[in-house]
Amino acid sequence: MAKQKTGTMLSAFAQRIWDSPVIVPVLSLLLSFLIVSIMAMIFGVSPGAILVALFEGALKGKYAMSSTVKETIPLALCGLAVYLPYRAGFFNIGGQGQLEIGAITAMAVVLYVNGSPAAVMALALLAAVAAGLLASVVPLVLKLKRGANEVTTTIMMNFACIQFVHAMITGPMKDQSAFYGTTEGVPQALRLPEFSLGVNMHIGVFMALLLVVATYWLIRRTSYGVQLKAVGGKPSVAEASGISVSRVITLAVLVGSAFAGLAGGIQALGVTYRVAEGWSKDWGFSGIPIAFLAGNNALAIIPIAFLFAILETGARYMQFMTGVPAALTYVFQGLPVMIFVALNAWRSMKPKKIQR
Amino acid sequence: MLEGWLGPFVLASLRAATPLIFCALSVVLAERAGVVHIGVEGVMLSGALAGLLGVVYFGDAYLGILLSVLVGMVTGLLLAFITVYLPADQIVTGIVFNLFSLGMTSFVFRLAAENNAAVQALIPGMPAVVLGLSPFMVMAIIFTVFLWWFLFRTGPGLKIRSMGEDAHAAHAAGINIIFTRMIVLTAAAVLSALGGAALTIGWVRSFTDNITLGRGFIALAAAYCGRWNPLLAAVACIIFGAGEALAFRAQAAGTGLNPHYYLMIPYVLTLLVVAVAGKGRAPADVGKPYLRR
Repeated sequence: MAKQKTGTMLSAFAQRIWDSPVIVPVLSLLLSFLIVSIMAMIFGVSPGAILVALFEGALKGKYAMSSTVKETIPLALCGLAVYLPYRAGFFNIGGQGQLEIGAITAMAVVLYVNGSPAAVMALALLAAVAAGLLASVVPLVLKLKRGANEVTTTIMMNFACIQFVHAMITGPMKDQSAFYGTTEGVPQALRLPEFSLGVNMHIGVFMALLLVVATYWLIRRTSYGVQLKAVGGKPSVAEASGISVSRVITLAVLVGSAFAGLAGGIQALGVTYRVAEGWSKDWGFSGIPIAFLAGNNALAIIPIAFLFAILETGARYMQFMTGVPAALTYVFQGLPVMIFVALNAWRSMKPKKIQR
Repeated sequence: MLEGWLGPFVLASLRAATPLIFCALSVVLAERAGVVHIGVEGVMLSGALAGLLGVVYFGDAYLGILLSVLVGMVTGLLLAFITVYLPADQIVTGIVFNLFSLGMTSFVFRLAAENNAAVQALIPGMPAVVLGLSPFMVMAIIFTVFLWWFLFRTGPGLKIRSMGEDAHAAHAAGINIIFTRMIVLTAAAVLSALGGAALTIGWVRSFTDNITLGRGFIALAAAYCGRWNPLLAAVACIIFGAGEALAFRAQAAGTGLNPHYYLMIPYVLTLLVVAVAGKGRAPADVGKPYLRR
């Protein structure tokens, strides 16, 4: 009897853990790590060595640490660019295109506008925001006016924007002295101001932090957040209760894509100092898994983006130290979310079976 | 003068279009059954690598194609399990599957290259079979016509299309949605993998990281441009292939319009088609997970 009781208690405990909101993200990270470990062992390297190399490469020493922090900024902003529109039921896959078009616009301002450095810099970042925002207008209008699925249209805008940027850097904006497609560099005076808090950072850090917190506040603490939730849940009900669905979606999408555009401007002015062929990593695409792993809490975007930044900056060092290809990080970006959505779906499938 | 220019250009367009056609057909098939196939890029990449490895290790192009088909089946079953059986969000799953495949293929490629240097060398090309067309081109044409006939002229095709329009109604009519969609998605993934094989075995004859370079998404565009009709989708692929061939030509000549404007054609054209046609003719149930009731 007693044994049976502990048995039910144990299963109740297991059920509690299974029902807690943390378990699925944790489990998916663990499972992914298990799979990546197996892959590492196939390569003849111990999983521990990979982790150590990854973290050493990303966090050990001032230079590595500061590039990881800088890498977190575009990842967090692109995470927001997916996160906020998704609350309204709009799946913004166009982050990469919005980022690239934002970056090239910021470069155009920096290279062709004269004025005091602070004003030009501010104008460049604003232009990046505006460009990112404009890149989402086409999918937005097509969705609201023509009922077109935004997934298709944002993907198309992505590649159209990327090709446009390439046309610019190999065409009118090309640095004539370079042998490959690139703009000229950002003049020293117009680079984002750097400062040191133990590690070197540029002021984009504050923008990213501030915007993540602001988004959290917007979703949790404002009436707009409530409307967002209603629209994301069931648009027809929201419309019936007097919410202007298209207005709510429009705002979420425009603000979201502005974040991605800003990320492009910040990267161009603060990190790469030029836009060239292959200048960017897949920040925009990484924003998608980041937004999904963040779940219901926008603030979670910061630690998750930091984790992704560690993967990005540590990967090359890991390849150098252990020989395991840096491409493994893509597995580590994709796999957790795949397991995450699968586990979530599985979990919501279970109770229905019991009911039957 | 014209002949000297036109012949090679048409061939170059068809060569670029062939991998796209396989993938566009796979998107048409999956979405007609009501499953979004964003994962086409990742499956294509996996199929591309599997095909090349098959040729290197088994020494025969057709065994390479076979290995690519097998990998397509495995990835298709994985995707089908997650997005149809469980079912999780099809779009999220597809996108992260693409990321996963990018990492996985690069990893396996390095692994193979460390063991066998031949993996990094050029593999032998496939000789043309008829009219200067490669086996892949012939297969693409056959598959296109077959899929059109299958979807629009046969009973099973009608059932598949009814699933894409309204899964619950189709279920009421006695179709096992979960099972059928899993089969269809697996078949679609095999087509995507063949598209990858057409790229590596049939055209480039080597593999590099991310060799597909977004071609899966171009195929997606072709399927939408072709309004989910295999014949029209194949025509769209040929137009896009011609755009790619023009871009190569412009790059080689170094004059005229910037090649990147030609490479924009698929995306801009798709946006225009979507703008004009809107939701019309799209399978109504695409992307909605089918939940058991």
